[in-house]
Amino acid sequence: MRRSSKVLAGSHEPGYRFWLAYLYILPALLVYAIFVLWPIVDTVRYSFYDWSGFREPVFAGIGNYARLFHDEILGVGLANNLTFIMFYAILPIVVGLFLTALLTHRQVTGMSLFRVGLFVPYVMSMVVVGVVWRWLYHPTGPINQVLTAIGLGAWARPWLGDFDWARAAVGFVGTWVQYGFCMVLFIAGVQRIDENLYDAAKIDGANEFQQFAHVTFPGILNEVSVALVTTLIAALKVFDLVYVLTRGGPGNETMVASYWLYQNAFQINRVGYAAAIAVVLSVMIMIISYAVISLRVRITEA
Amino acid sequence: MSDLNHPISRREMLKLMGAGVGMGLLSLTGCAPKGTPSTPAAAPATPTSAPPTPAPATPTSAPPPAPAKLVVWDVWTRDEETAVIEAVHEIFKATHPNVTIDRIAKSFDDLKATSKLALSSPDGPDIVQINQGWSDMGAMVEGGLLVDLTPYAQQYGWNNKISASLRARNSFSADGKEFGTGNLYGVPPTAELVGAYYRKDLFEKLGVSLPKTFGELESILQKAKEAGYTPITFGNLDGWPALHTYSEIMFTKVTDRGYIDDLIYAWGKGASWNDPIVITAAGKMVEWVEKGFFTKGFEGIGYDDSTSLFNTGEGVTMITGSWMSSTFTAGEYGEKIGFFLVPPEKAGAVKLSVGGTSLAYAIRASSPNRDLAAEYLAVIMSDEAANEWAKAGTVPVASVDKSILQEGTLFADLVKSWDWMNQHDAVGHYIDWATPTFYDTSTAAIQELLSGRITPEEFAQKLEADRQAFLAGRK
Repeated sequence: MRRSSKVLAGSHEPGYRFWLAYLYILPALLVYAIFVLWPIVDTVRYSFYDWSGFREPVFAGIGNYARLFHDEILGVGLANNLTFIMFYAILPIVVGLFLTALLTHRQVTGMSLFRVGLFVPYVMSMVVVGVVWRWLYHPTGPINQVLTAIGLGAWARPWLGDFDWARAAVGFVGTWVQYGFCMVLFIAGVQRIDENLYDAAKIDGANEFQQFAHVTFPGILNEVSVALVTTLIAALKVFDLVYVLTRGGPGNETMVASYWLYQNAFQINRVGYAAAIAVVLSVMIMIISYAVISLRVRITEA
Repeated sequence: MSDLNHPISRREMLKLMGAGVGMGLLSLTGCAPKGTPSTPAAAPATPTSAPPTPAPATPTSAPPPAPAKLVVWDVWTRDEETAVIEAVHEIFKATHPNVTIDRIAKSFDDLKATSKLALSSPDGPDIVQINQGWSDMGAMVEGGLLVDLTPYAQQYGWNNKISASLRARNSFSADGKEFGTGNLYGVPPTAELVGAYYRKDLFEKLGVSLPKTFGELESILQKAKEAGYTPITFGNLDGWPALHTYSEIMFTKVTDRGYIDDLIYAWGKGASWNDPIVITAAGKMVEWVEKGFFTKGFEGIGYDDSTSLFNTGEGVTMITGSWMSSTFTAGEYGEKIGFFLVPPEKAGAVKLSVGGTSLAYAIRASSPNRDLAAEYLAVIMSDEAANEWAKAGTVPVASVDKSILQEGTLFADLVKSWDWMNQHDAVGHYIDWATPTFYDTSTAAIQELLSGRITPEEFAQKLEADRQAFLAGRK
């Protein structure tokens, strides 16, 4: 071992190559450090201070974290984030799988058209999506008009202002945005599954559902887990849709942690406290991502 | 996402998690507000890079001979408003030929979110329009970011233009701990008053005249409802419009303005939100919902949508602020729309109206151009500038040259109402100023109230709990 490493390193001091490698990644590392690492470190630091955003920060120890536990609105927000996992992660994956099965099973005419069309929501700016859906959900908007026209006028309601429906209405927009991403990911995965596997399954008498369950789904498990991690993160850090659609209302029905974080940082001048919310939210995202990915690793290694 | 063909390794897991952390945390430092301001406004202006440090102005009464530059951030994003400001700048340039003004207009939300940092920067804007109340002006005063304008107010005679109760809401103690008293930190050029816009043609059709009492107003609304009209155009998806309507109802029951001043300025003289006034007013507003006085489905209609509904003919009245006057005047029913203040319970009594002033012009404490900036403010507050606002259909804080008023116009109604309010010390408050968190608390609580999720009693308790938490935190 020792000898070979000496040969590799030549006449240079041990560790020379190690530093050379860092020199190569330095430009990227610098950018990453300035725009990602430094803000993270700074945010963690601020979370231990009582800081209004422009006065001298006052050290507060774990005061901000202690306060999190008594914050009812944050509790409501985090509970809503968990609800949004259903709309942002689970439903889009189910819809994505269904569309994948439809679009890949046999040759569909205009396949690329379908793919592009179904992918469009994901590409659009969230603010544009929000404005469009605010209009669709308007009490006299298209959704209620259609309901009234087909005799379901009793179901028409001010969706975004309705205490029973606002959360589902906002969540549904999330599903609409996310499923396209899942679908494209899954279709890409299906395309590298060996055709022979399908042939073998057919010879064994597998019907279409069985083919999907035993060939397609296991074949794209990697993609499903990637989609799950990405959409979970999206569900936990949702901000833009809530900001445009409801601002957390009615009451606090659609309040989410990141909108409450924003209100604290930019409207109520509690930057230190907002930083604490950010840290907790990030830790939650890390834990959940870790859980999903390690589950995935265990399945593939088993 | 580069490696879809292989199971995810632990290293990649860390990478993905890193991205998660970055995204989660960056949501704090990286999100700028995007549009949907509370008042209709153009796209947010992009802040320019740091302005060059201007040369210090000589503290003489004459304009400085050396070329100087003033950086001004204001909230006037609409075309009519920009035209007024440009006209005002011409007035300023006539006496200050060597001064260049670098003006940046921002939407309300954008201005609110960025001005705090800008004011603490050593090369930030010299003049910024800021929101009054604890969370903006109060916090800035506490941070020592603003110039005390009291000496300038004497020098330029602003005390004659801005009434005492309007000065109070731009005043804080030097440590920012007391509101409504102490030094003057901002001067507002235009007035804001909330009342009822009404359709003159529909009033005629219904055979009703302007109400003198709150009871008369309610019977007009009832008549309108029975005739098949929407009595009040209303949309509360944004939460705050209901606060204005609620406050108007509440103020009909306030007989002593000391009560509401105490609540807003947090003087702690014994006023409480958990008061029969608050509870009965909340009950009245719920009654209006039950009677169907408001636009159907108001819970799901945004403020901007509701104003365009009124502008296109829906509704007999709309209770909102004077900032809508130019939009309504220019609209389809422009000549048919008038304005009256929501009347008191007993005819002839003095009732407060929701209102106050526009955002206030303030000077950055670390600006090297304090005196020059004050001269700019003097022009902003001048009679000439006031007349420019009046010509554009916006009510200025200072009184208007009556010769330009056309009898029977919406603008004349507004100016008369504003004059009356000032003569009777009846300029009320925006209740969301009461504490830094009151906006969030009260908008959420009123949506719950109007949907029947909480009772008027619980509504009052929620508001008072917010105030108690604020008072406890101040000690």
